[in-house]
Amino acid sequence: MNKLIITVLAKDRPGIIAHVTQVLFGLECNLENVNQMILQDQFAGFFLVESPPSLDRDNLQTNLDNQTKDTGLVIHVNDLDENNGSAMDNKGDIFLITTIGPDQKGLVARFSAIIARHHGNIINLKAVFKGGPDPRNNVMSYQVWVTPELDSAAMFADLRTKAAELGLDIRIQHKNIFDAINKI
Amino acid sequence: MFEDHEIISTIEMVKNEHLDVRAVTLGVNLFDCISHDLGTFRHNIRNKILTHAASLKSVCDEVGDKYGIQVVNKRISISPIALVGAAFSPDQMVEIAHELNDIAKTVDIDFIGGFSALVEKGMATGDLALIAALPRALAQTERVCGSVNVATTKAGINMDAVLQMSRAIKQAAALTSDADGLACAKLCVFANIPEDMPFMAGAYLGVGVADAVINVGVSGPGVVKRAIERHLENGPMTLGNIAEVIKRTACKVTRVGELIGREVAKNLDVRFGVVDLSLAPTPTVGDSIGEIFQALGLSHIGVPGPTAALAMLNDAVKKGGAFASSHVGGLSGAFIPVSEDLNIAHAAHQGYLSLEKLEALTSVCSVGLDMVPVPGDITEETLAGIIADEMAIGMINAKTTACRIIPVPGKKAGESVYFGGLLGEAKIMAVPHMMETNAFMRYGGRIPAPIHSLKN
Repeated sequence: MNKLIITVLAKDRPGIIAHVTQVLFGLECNLENVNQMILQDQFAGFFLVESPPSLDRDNLQTNLDNQTKDTGLVIHVNDLDENNGSAMDNKGDIFLITTIGPDQKGLVARFSAIIARHHGNIINLKAVFKGGPDPRNNVMSYQVWVTPELDSAAMFADLRTKAAELGLDIRIQHKNIFDAINKI
Repeated sequence: MFEDHEIISTIEMVKNEHLDVRAVTLGVNLFDCISHDLGTFRHNIRNKILTHAASLKSVCDEVGDKYGIQVVNKRISISPIALVGAAFSPDQMVEIAHELNDIAKTVDIDFIGGFSALVEKGMATGDLALIAALPRALAQTERVCGSVNVATTKAGINMDAVLQMSRAIKQAAALTSDADGLACAKLCVFANIPEDMPFMAGAYLGVGVADAVINVGVSGPGVVKRAIERHLENGPMTLGNIAEVIKRTACKVTRVGELIGREVAKNLDVRFGVVDLSLAPTPTVGDSIGEIFQALGLSHIGVPGPTAALAMLNDAVKKGGAFASSHVGGLSGAFIPVSEDLNIAHAAHQGYLSLEKLEALTSVCSVGLDMVPVPGDITEETLAGIIADEMAIGMINAKTTACRIIPVPGKKAGESVYFGGLLGEAKIMAVPHMMETNAFMRYGGRIPAPIHSLKN
């Protein structure tokens, strides 16, 4: 059995997941995990499947391409290397780094560069810049995996300095405070 | 994974609605420090407290930074000095207060509570010495807080102690006349005092509690007020719906307190005690119990209706908090301290809130007559009468009540007092009929416990 990860991109419309999963079902692939999101009007889906021994990555890619022709779906199939494990398998904590303030060019690039320089791993990022007074329309929120080996104090200090330079309000908080307040 | 609104609302609670942890209080048992020799006793209590509290402030700050929630006050509560220092004279008790004050400075905390006595059924030698020492002890120190429990539902009211405490309060005020009687702001008279309360001035460590324990007091008036306002902006609500909003908000606030408290306790390697759910205001706009009343549609706290509103608020806070934590304790309700709450102080100044209405409110709030400045020439009997009335409310209703009253030397009703910091400022409240003779307070003895105390 092969573990494969399938990425599907398309302009959002009804029926994308139904179409892809019906094709996978017909190819006797076992669906293990699915995640999807909509960014403005664009659909992105991730399908983790176990395929039969006769169906390797290239075969599956060909089959999917043929059976979704003219649907506008962009599909990419990759092998899943389970031996490497996740970056979050090691000991660590999740911190939410949130900036609130008006859009400026290069904001994500600047903040993610600082996080990368300190070897922080961004595991989720949301950024919305619509203008206006509502903070929900001018917010970046990074969920960052912070390991004990990482100099978190230095990384947080650099992020705060950058936010001050750019006139942004920044909050750096351990994930558990959001769990405590929102996950009851 | 969090939704945008979860992230933003959490940040708003901290940034704009004054959500913080109002007090992390380390309780330290001093019974193993007892000695008949004052020098040895002082040495023992210093060693014991410093052993547990040396890193209290830094740990609180680290945990606060980690979660982006400020721990505003770091405090210590200790076993009642009247018990552990029962062998000492009033003068020696004052020396103990100085030692405690110095310890508080050493570990950089703002208050240490437990210069206290439990005298609801009678006063022993140590209790008498402590009460005699209280005025000087509080006037000569900055960080020592005192409390005396004079009544319980099980024991009744010790009226001898009520009168003695009235006298002690007057003396403490006189000794700090240059500071508007500030020493009285550090002194509470209680009925049914809780033994695990993190808030000052009444915090002490009960005799049935662990050797060292962390108790946490949350804040949240601003968060509750905004939650009510946000929901009302979306259209009319019934009071049942509003109570539900308060309950859910209190639940969130309590979970924050417990998260912080448990981590501080773990890092200090001591037991976690309780979360005190009390909504504790500060003299800051947006951090006020009085503003919650206004959010509920009452123009001021003193107009008809706030007792019902406060009853609903207190109950909803308790329900939300009890769902959030299995270890709820202390006072756990809403505070209505006059000078510490800008909005309540204004209501009193503008004549909406009288002492009588305040007393009525205390039948449903979590504390009592708190931070109430009164004229300095109030008689001992009148002051004792106010205390006795408040104690009776606590005794009969099986709840905690307390008096933290400041007779301001040389000042009359309507004049201003300024205590500073979290203690705030206010106009002196009028006390009707305060110069009348009051023989009732001179009978002494004990008002017997009510019939419903017989539960065995």
